[in-house]
Amino acid sequence: MKRIKALIACMLLMAVTILPLAGCGAEDSDTIVLRISNWEEYIDEGGWTEEDAIELEDGTVIQPEKSIAEEFEQWYFEKFGQKVKVEYSTFGTNEELYNQMTLGDQYDLVCPSEYMIMKLMTEGYIQPFSQEFMDTSNPDNYYVNGVSPYIRSVFDDLKINGQALSNCAAGYMWGTLGIVYNPDEVTEEEAAHWNLLSSDKFRKQITIKDSVRDAFFAGISILNENQISSSAFTNAADYRDRLSSTLNDTSKETVDAVGDILSGIKDNVYSFETDSGKADMATGKVVANMQWSGDAVYTLNEAEADDLYLCYSAPEESVNLWFDGWCMMKNGIQGDEKKQQAAESFVNYVSMPENAIRNMYYIGYTSVISGGESDQILQYADYCYGADEAEAEEAREKLVEYPLDYFFLGRKNSETGEYTIMTTEDQTRRQLFAQYPTEDVINRSVVMAYFNKEGNERINQMWTDVRCFDLNKVFGF
Amino acid sequence: MISVNAKRCQHRSGADHEVIIYENRMETKVKKSYFSRKQLMIPYAVFLCFFVVLPLFVVLYYAFTNGDGNVSIHNFVRFFQNSKAIGTLVYSLAVALLTTLFCLLLAYPAAYFMAKGVFRKNHTFLMLFVLPMWINFTLRITAMKEILSLVEGNLAMHPFLNTIICMVYDFLPFMILPLYNTIVRLDDSLLEAAHDLGATKRQTFFKVVLPLSIPGIISGITMVFLPSMTNYVVLDMVYNSTYIMGSLIGSYFSAYDWHNGSVISIILLVIILLITLISDKFTGQSANERQGGAIL
Repeated sequence: MKRIKALIACMLLMAVTILPLAGCGAEDSDTIVLRISNWEEYIDEGGWTEEDAIELEDGTVIQPEKSIAEEFEQWYFEKFGQKVKVEYSTFGTNEELYNQMTLGDQYDLVCPSEYMIMKLMTEGYIQPFSQEFMDTSNPDNYYVNGVSPYIRSVFDDLKINGQALSNCAAGYMWGTLGIVYNPDEVTEEEAAHWNLLSSDKFRKQITIKDSVRDAFFAGISILNENQISSSAFTNAADYRDRLSSTLNDTSKETVDAVGDILSGIKDNVYSFETDSGKADMATGKVVANMQWSGDAVYTLNEAEADDLYLCYSAPEESVNLWFDGWCMMKNGIQGDEKKQQAAESFVNYVSMPENAIRNMYYIGYTSVISGGESDQILQYADYCYGADEAEAEEAREKLVEYPLDYFFLGRKNSETGEYTIMTTEDQTRRQLFAQYPTEDVINRSVVMAYFNKEGNERINQMWTDVRCFDLNKVFGF
Repeated sequence: MISVNAKRCQHRSGADHEVIIYENRMETKVKKSYFSRKQLMIPYAVFLCFFVVLPLFVVLYYAFTNGDGNVSIHNFVRFFQNSKAIGTLVYSLAVALLTTLFCLLLAYPAAYFMAKGVFRKNHTFLMLFVLPMWINFTLRITAMKEILSLVEGNLAMHPFLNTIICMVYDFLPFMILPLYNTIVRLDDSLLEAAHDLGATKRQTFFKVVLPLSIPGIISGITMVFLPSMTNYVVLDMVYNSTYIMGSLIGSYFSAYDWHNGSVISIILLVIILLITLISDKFTGQSANERQGGAIL
């Protein structure tokens, strides 16, 4: 009996210690609680060692100790004299975030991908940014002053019910969907086409993402490969519009045809993976792997540490351009101006060139920030990938020019040569190419739109059918 | 109950003074016992309500409604009209049947020899069979994958075979334990009687041991068959890209389609109920005891 009493006492003690912790959220009333939800491992968490420290050409040394969220709280208090508490949480997929929100979780600021931003916009969840946030004359507006002109034009061109995406979302990271491959096994030419995935030569040696939309993009590119790479198509004046509408087609015939292609791919590939792709590439189990550019950078870096030399390709038919962006949620902000100001300031804070560099270094993805007046972003790209004659000779590579004007100046001014990195030739197939694609790639890139309900259900059903077991295989012949 | 016990003691013990001692002990115990047995059931009953009964109603609600909140059996009709979904049902059944069959074939002799045969009451041996249960199954499958890739090379070449091998490996202890428990409880005198009456060893096994161990077989089957229809983690791990029923539910839920996901759950539930009902026929009296364990 004594033991039972002791046990009960212990449990009570535990309850007593845990209860106050649960009540921690109730800060004093003048503190703004900013609820942010972002992708897992998608922001710098500080704690860099000296080895990590980045020294830019202008003498800036980046070696943060605290996480971005913590530093933002401090920065905001010093600047506005207002306490902010960041409640930071993460999600694993866009659908998970959407589910959490529709099931009643409230966030002030979230960072979903382009199609989910469009979905949230259509359904009226998003609080547009204020006039103050858009004001380019204020130097503290790091986002509008620092965002790449190219990315800004992408955001301006995407419209939902007549409203441009740029009113509701501020970009965070962007990139392409491509193929990481092992050049010892797969030639550059083979990796330059989506039909690598269905190639007999690499049967059971390629993994692709276990994701409806990514697989659909690969499938529909293969379906239309002859059409969209014909010179009549690529030379047409409205090439980009036609490419976009071809690859965003969700009519029944198209989806059925893509389903057939994906069924073939399912039998041909090693696996549909969610996170094993990087490791399987690094251990050499597979020779090619469909991957997002940021993960590709990470994979290439990891493999390099093990003396394995991998490359990244952006297929010639077309490339899926994706981005993630910050959106304020109406049901979180609830018209609270102070809170909205804090949320917008957070977006500006992560858009400061230094912080953008921190995030890029930490997660391997590419920030939408080009820096505006500051050229730190270019310095960082040069720090990572730049090379001179001596270095090129040592690496036995040619030294080549890698122009990035389109990103820093916009596609209209992309021939000034002002923003060019001198790099070794291999980087045009490797990390630099994954992180900052060339303008050719941009020219054949397509943003996968948010499909309407019917189209969305159709591709989801197609994907489920592809993954289900086909009885015809057993009884059909 | 306690007073009844005290009375029993009185009957057994001849001497009066002993009874008094017993009763004293009992009385002190009564005073110190704060909870009646019924009250002790409350925590579990609450748990059952919130985490078993309530979710079941939620699943039922979603399965029989459509997106607009109207009652509908459209989702069920659609499932049975979709040849691909039926394909996955058949595929899951095939995986589960083969897993159960191989588990049974491997486990029965093992359980028999540990209970009655050469390894009789050999605890080390029993331990060896139970030991894998102490290790998380994903770790075990990872280890199994390494062994398989040594033998097969590229694992993705034989996804179905690898699925069955890993499932059998995963679920084997769940088949051995109920079988062992049933066979070890068989009265040796029954075997001796069979022998005395002239039955050969073979006849004794088929006419006495096997029929009497059927409850163990049934409970082993229910413990292996049902989970192996839904354990899609194993399939993911061995690079089998084909959905089974469990992954189908997961795919619908992650596409925030609660309705179709719930329909599949209900279909699985019905299959479970059918199997339990059929196995009741075999086991007769002990059915009630076993059922609880099987469903859990």
